[in-house]
Amino acid sequence: MSRPTVTIIGADGAASKDTQPIPNVFKSPIRPDIVHTVHTGMNKNKRQPYAVSEKAGHQTSAESWGTGRAVARIPRVSGGGTHRAGQAAFGNMCRSGRMFAPTKVWRKWHQKINLNQKRFATASALAASSSAALLLARGHNVSSVPEVPLVVSSTAFADAAIAKTSAALALLKAVGAGADIEKVKRTRKLRAGKGKLRGRRHKQRRGPLVIYNPDEDGKELVRAFRNLPGVETSSVYSLNLLQLAPGGHLGRFIVWTSSAFAALDKIYGSTTEPSALKKDFLLPSSIMKQPDLNKLINSSEVQNVLRPVRGGAITKRTVVQKKNPLKNFQVQLRLNPYAKAFKKEGLGHKKEKNSKPEAVSKDVVALLHEN
Amino acid sequence: MATLSSDLIWEVTRGNSSTLVKRKQAGGVQFSKDPLNLRNQYSRKYEGLVADKAIGILPAENGGITLITKKADKQHTPASALQKSTISSKRSTRKTYSSIVKSTTKKGYRPDLRKDAVARASAIRKSQQPVKEDKPAKLRGKKAQADS
Repeated sequence: MSRPTVTIIGADGAASKDTQPIPNVFKSPIRPDIVHTVHTGMNKNKRQPYAVSEKAGHQTSAESWGTGRAVARIPRVSGGGTHRAGQAAFGNMCRSGRMFAPTKVWRKWHQKINLNQKRFATASALAASSSAALLLARGHNVSSVPEVPLVVSSTAFADAAIAKTSAALALLKAVGAGADIEKVKRTRKLRAGKGKLRGRRHKQRRGPLVIYNPDEDGKELVRAFRNLPGVETSSVYSLNLLQLAPGGHLGRFIVWTSSAFAALDKIYGSTTEPSALKKDFLLPSSIMKQPDLNKLINSSEVQNVLRPVRGGAITKRTVVQKKNPLKNFQVQLRLNPYAKAFKKEGLGHKKEKNSKPEAVSKDVVALLHEN
Repeated sequence: MATLSSDLIWEVTRGNSSTLVKRKQAGGVQFSKDPLNLRNQYSRKYEGLVADKAIGILPAENGGITLITKKADKQHTPASALQKSTISSKRSTRKTYSSIVKSTTKKGYRPDLRKDAVARASAIRKSQQPVKEDKPAKLRGKKAQADS
């Protein structure tokens, strides 16, 4: 079976004659559930511990006054000569008391995620990045992109050709990714809350992810791309789920260099051949060969075992409102087929001929009264 | 890259999509921003993003409507995946509707959307008509007497 191919796009944005077979990793099952759980775990792994001071709220020698002083039995600051004396202390409900359940640095900050799950999620996220519908659903502006997956020829990056941001921007615009970058630029917003003061001043969407092969494309392009808003770069040998599925949502827009794209089969192997670089890893295969519901329903296997449609075009309706045959002529007809002729002839309001009895002749009356 | 089935794409995107607009009003309505969604309703049938074939009807720039259809075999080439054609406002509405139906339903292209496509085209054409000015109110009673 010939695998489907993808066209390699030149540096000028025009499709070249070269094609590359699609790597096996793009056939992995798409599992938003796995990607989501792995993402939730991975997202926690860069956190730094924080806690309130151990001493906070306890730097006083307060003691309860006990009962009999007509105040609550909460510990109170001893001494006099200052307003602080006699004020309640320690409790989480007190002003300058300690917080409830003070946070500790030994909270469980990081999550262990099974390696196989992480690899599954990465493969799944890569596979999802080959669907234009999922890219659009994630919010990428890819309507001007010639093809997904978008593979740009590595010759465009050869000899450190993309070492300047202007060159990088021109390349992305040429291959149709300009609209997505423009979109990202417009979304840059001031962050709500304290994050502004903590080195996270702005929020913005994510743009295209450029995946390169450091062995062949060099690393100059990283510097070229890094000042473009929303654009990220990643080596094909160290892909990160946080970049492949930001927010746990599938369908990141990826710009591949052709050498990175070609390296995927070596890195991930296939469902039968183990990967060359990852120990004990086979690509996951999907459980359902045919996920198209309409095709399943209309397949000969299913249609052959179905019973024929009962009743066909005319089916008796069971639960319907009862109609009054005196008011609904169609219902009346069903009960009394003669009603049609009866109505047409107007028999209902026809005067009966000779409806009055004829007067008896006088002779008969006289005869009756004769004695 | 086996082409993903639209059922799978729907299952992935039904809870979260850039086209989905969720509001808490009216029991949590779900609308869609998708131009290929004829009813702006976020549902499996109407969401054009997930479907292989979908119809979109938008107002054209100089009046009239633009009919968009999705080419089913161009799923991987977003730049050439949409077929656009414009029906000008000079065309009568009846002919507009019939040309929409002829280029979609009559070719076996999403016959289930026929009614919605025509309804949307009709609504767009109606919205493009100039607004009639209100008649001056007829004065009654004392005002009428004062006026005359």
